[in-house]
Amino acid sequence: MKPVVMTENLGKVYNPGSIPVTALRNATITIDRGEFTTIVGPSGSGKTTLLNLLGGLDRPTSGSVCINGIDIATLKDPELIDFRLWNIGFVFQHYNLIPVFTARENVAFIMLLQHRNKQQIRERADQLLDEVGLSHRRDVRPAQLSGGEQQRVAVARALATEPKFIIADEPTANLDTAAAMNLLDIMERMNREKQITFVFSTHDQRVIERARRVITLVDGAIVTDRQHAS
Amino acid sequence: MKTLLILSWRNIWRHPGRSSALLAAIISGLWAGALTIAISNGIYQQRTNYLINNETTHLQIHHPDFMTERSPDLTIPQPEVIVSRLAQDPRVRSFSPRTLIDGMLQSPVKASGVRIRGIDIVAETATTGFHRQLSAGRFLDQSTRNPLVMGQALAATHNMEIGNRVVLVFEDTRHELTAAAFTIVGLFVSPSRQVDRTLVFVRADDLSSLLADRFISHEIVILLHDIADADTVAADLNTRFNGISARTWFELSPELRTLIDYGSITLLLLTTVIMLALAFGILNTLLMSLFERRYELGMLLCIGMGRGKLFVMMMLEALMLTLSGAAAGLLLAAMALNWLSSTGVDLGIFAAGLAQIGYDRIIYPFLHGSDYATVVFMVIFTTLAAALYPAWKALATNPLEASKSR
Ligand SMILES: Nc1ncnc2c1ncn2[C@@H]1O[C@H](COP(=O)(O)OP(=O)(O)OP(=O)(O)O)[C@@H](O)[C@H]1O
Ligand SMILES: [Mg+2]
Repeated sequence: MKPVVMTENLGKVYNPGSIPVTALRNATITIDRGEFTTIVGPSGSGKTTLLNLLGGLDRPTSGSVCINGIDIATLKDPELIDFRLWNIGFVFQHYNLIPVFTARENVAFIMLLQHRNKQQIRERADQLLDEVGLSHRRDVRPAQLSGGEQQRVAVARALATEPKFIIADEPTANLDTAAAMNLLDIMERMNREKQITFVFSTHDQRVIERARRVITLVDGAIVTDRQHAS
Repeated sequence: MKTLLILSWRNIWRHPGRSSALLAAIISGLWAGALTIAISNGIYQQRTNYLINNETTHLQIHHPDFMTERSPDLTIPQPEVIVSRLAQDPRVRSFSPRTLIDGMLQSPVKASGVRIRGIDIVAETATTGFHRQLSAGRFLDQSTRNPLVMGQALAATHNMEIGNRVVLVFEDTRHELTAAAFTIVGLFVSPSRQVDRTLVFVRADDLSSLLADRFISHEIVILLHDIADADTVAADLNTRFNGISARTWFELSPELRTLIDYGSITLLLLTTVIMLALAFGILNTLLMSLFERRYELGMLLCIGMGRGKLFVMMMLEALMLTLSGAAAGLLLAAMALNWLSSTGVDLGIFAAGLAQIGYDRIIYPFLHGSDYATVVFMVIFTTLAAALYPAWKALATNPLEASKSR
């Protein structure tokens, strides 16, 4: 079976013109379906850079990224946006949700972008919010949700499009321990029950412990790549 | 699309204060603009109606050179043929031949220059409404020899009243000076002081016999059933008859032409100012919201919302805001006009000056359906133009904005 993500000698240099910053070098990674992988490393080590490249949000300056067998370098910008819609789910640290939409509308919106059938969208949005434990909060706008609740809506939204994998850059960074563990529980359950592939970054030792594979970056280079038994 | 509409509409109300301020500006701007247009329409309409009903009518026939030279011998050749033709034309409502001469009016007090208009009472009253402005006496009739009607203002400067006699002096068609006594039978007050001081009415028969040894006409004024036929009727007359010139109200009245030109220039200036203000308001609001929402726009790009949709969303925000403002502004204007069109607007302090040049004090403002359409079209156009730059900037958002750590 094809790996979900495969990179080869991936590198990223910011500002190649003026003062170049090498944020990532020679990263070769393969992520298979069903993995629960975290990217760790000190601040500035290149975690966000790597995740942006894996998610097709940015273009590498060297090497290649293949998602589900497709080299994203071959995709033009509008194609890449559409590719993300159908293949990748995103959970960010901040500003995940559309503030003027309710939780349910936020989850439904992304499926509307996929032109799914209305009836199916409604049912699926409700079902996903139920799975992240927010059925009772579905008609509330993000501003009235706690940070943890917002991240759970973001996970529900990421799942809604049935992506190949979900990328989450420090999803727990703004959450208290209880909310962070609750979010991890949900991510883990989705991973176990539905074989959803997760790649996420974190600083948090308790979150790292829950991952089954830990990739460690230092100064833009992969220094260790360990499988946990868990 | 429906979702985009909902999204844009809600985005507008994220900053209720800011959006309401812009909305209020649009509403009041359009309201004031629409009323100004309506008032100038009212002035124009009132003046046009007045001039057409009392002065110009829809078209006039003259000797081709009469209008420039006003010489008494420049008469209409064979007026009876033209008159019988007009009587048969179904487009013609009524017409009135006039005998005209400029001369002096002498009283024991002094002499003043006057325009003498010789008319057929029946035909003239059927064609123009001037007789309705009679303030005293009668509008010429057969019971008196050489009756005359003059402006009340002119009579006052001569210390004359009804029943007094004045002498009219003028050149006849052979260019000899002629004088005759006339009896004042009526006085009028028109909206124009100029007309009140210079125009006098006598019977065409009386004037003709003094000017020549036969009945002569210098002018035939024609009222049509439909003003829109003026051009074609004039063209028909000009091709059918030689030695005359038929001209429409538009060709005849430099005042109406000026009024139309002046009106459109004011309108252009006014709308330009309002639209510029609108454009800056939109630009400012959108740029502000763009700046605040760059992370969110980045997020939308990340999760797979196309740039086209982002662009449409920004444009829709601008359009919905301005169109709702425009609709409200025009609705309020329509309501105000509904009221004002029955009560009229009293131009009050301006009225004295306006009366000097022949305007009524009270005018009835109104808007054409096409005025509303034009305004809405211009608002849409201005909004789209002003929103283009912010929407284009939104389009160029980098998805990485979403993943920036802050
Ligand atoms: N847009 C950019 N332009 C220039 N340099 C950048 C840019 N983004 C990141 N960098 C630099 O690249 C390096 C890696 O940054 P990155 O954000 O990937 O690190 P990180 O591991 O995610 O850090 P953190 O834990 O603080 O989020 C840093 O030195 C950073 O300063
Ligand atoms: Mg980071």
